Amino acid sequence: MLAQPFPLSDYAAILPLTIVATTPLMILLLDLILPKGAPRRDAAVAVGIAGLLLAAYVLVRQYLAHQFAPAFGFGFILGGFSIAFSLIVVAAAIFSLLMVLPQRDDEKVGPSCALMLWSAAGAMLMAGAGDLMTIFLGLEILSLALYCLCGMVLRASPVRLREARESALKYLILSSMASGFMLYGMALLFGATGSVNLAALQAIPAGNPVFAMGCGLFMIGVAFKLGLVPFHVWMPDVFEGAPLPVTAFMSVVTKAGMLAVFARFLYGVLGTDHQALIVPVWIVAGLSMLVGNLAALSQIDMKRLLAYSGIAQLGYIVAALAGTSTLGMRYALFYLGAYTFMNLGAFAVVALISRDQEEDSHLSAFSGLGTRHPLLAAAMAFFLLSLAGLPPTAGFIGKILILASTVAAGYQWLAWLLIAGTAISVYVYIKIVRAMYVPVDLAHIREIRPLSYAPWIAVAVCAVATIALGIYPAALHDVLPRIR
Amino acid sequence: MTPYGPVAIYLAVALVASLAFCILPGLLARKKPNPVKSEAYECGVEPTSDVSGRFPVRFYLIAMLFVVFDVEAASFYPWAVQMHALKLFGLIEMVTFVVVLAIGYAYVWKRGGFQWR
Repeated sequence: MLAQPFPLSDYAAILPLTIVATTPLMILLLDLILPKGAPRRDAAVAVGIAGLLLAAYVLVRQYLAHQFAPAFGFGFILGGFSIAFSLIVVAAAIFSLLMVLPQRDDEKVGPSCALMLWSAAGAMLMAGAGDLMTIFLGLEILSLALYCLCGMVLRASPVRLREARESALKYLILSSMASGFMLYGMALLFGATGSVNLAALQAIPAGNPVFAMGCGLFMIGVAFKLGLVPFHVWMPDVFEGAPLPVTAFMSVVTKAGMLAVFARFLYGVLGTDHQALIVPVWIVAGLSMLVGNLAALSQIDMKRLLAYSGIAQLGYIVAALAGTSTLGMRYALFYLGAYTFMNLGAFAVVALISRDQEEDSHLSAFSGLGTRHPLLAAAMAFFLLSLAGLPPTAGFIGKILILASTVAAGYQWLAWLLIAGTAISVYVYIKIVRAMYVPVDLAHIREIRPLSYAPWIAVAVCAVATIALGIYPAALHDVLPRIR
Repeated sequence: MTPYGPVAIYLAVALVASLAFCILPGLLARKKPNPVKSEAYECGVEPTSDVSGRFPVRFYLIAMLFVVFDVEAASFYPWAVQMHALKLFGLIEMVTFVVVLAIGYAYVWKRGGFQWR
């Protein structure tokens, strides 16, 4: 017997995703037709951004029209939750595409943009995934594109090329292993309930050993992809070796997609019945805050430093979910939004000070930036202070909200760890600010001459958003109703 | 017996049987090796070189393209069998699938993916 084809409304639910997934086809076709040189590169980035903006428009329309419904037999669940995460993914993809433009390699700009959009489509699928199969499908779409992207370094020196290959290979091997853990966990969860649907998993009584084992393996996969502490070792190496736009993209999009899956699993499946099963996750989050910030202390490469700081920041976001309260979910989403802007803002500054053929992510590139280019230095300082969590930035409000939710949920020790981690992180970020503003002999510093002004757009938008969210902390309020 | 009992029995039987197949021939078989018997089996053709040698990475591209078109062919079969039952919906799905593949094919072709370099 044949299943009936799904109704049109199901296809309407995944329209933003479809747009993001089909835009790369247009980019590839244009890549074949247009002549080599600037038009081809500009067209690839422009078409990519246009597709993402269209997807964002449709997402906002869906949100305003409250077309919240499960689609494809609960395979994809459209709601405030999935829309919020999708919007974050789309924003991050736009900023990353802007950073691709300064890199002048005709052969690789088009494919890079196409792969980034496909990867973003995978993350958007994860944001709305309502059963284990969709989760895994989204995860693989997201990761497969990233394996290629990590190695696609643009017109590079042999050293740089080797680093990029190392990054791609490490990511492929370690990420596949984590996928294996996750898949085994899913198999056990399926064995315990006989269904891949998250709503069906919820019905399992506490204390079922197969279910507990499945949850454990699933969580290991989640923690690996989020880069939480015992599973974080891949992050610095992969982030350092990958091209800068890809690093920026990975630092937000993979995390947002996985965080959506984790939150849905936490709120939709584990709920309040299985609190004991998720205690290890809070411990792991607490460790991430400490270890991430401590390891960032000694870094001299900007990408590596931001990788470690990202480990800590993800620790904060996961901590917001402790106690699985409604407010905690909103605060986590708020902080993820704030992190998107401040982190990608910092990456865009790094993209602006890079020269042709090489990415200047070494910390020494920042010395004297305050005199060379006051505006850029001010923007960088602002993003770093926001990452450190100083007022009046979005990072400050975000941390206050997370502290409030962890304390309210009875996880005081997590709040203390957050404060300790933040104290360490201030030193990490201020170190860079100091390098930019301490007076140096200007003869030793080279001119900042950006190859493209596109990243300036990212810097400007991120700066405005970081201030705006700091002054008026708005978060979507009907995020939770359709989480299951 | 729990629902997983038969699975455990199946696993045990599979383990014992496969181990037996590996170990018993070594213990029981008569061994009269000669050069022709010990050389690698290549479907009757005399082997020209060492099998464990290195081979160029461009085979990887060929293999990948093969998998893509293999999957395409495999997806055509179920559709062909159920074409009338799936009606217009099936046709649209299939055309979408082929168009996506065709764009990829055009890209690979234009970029010289089929040239043996």
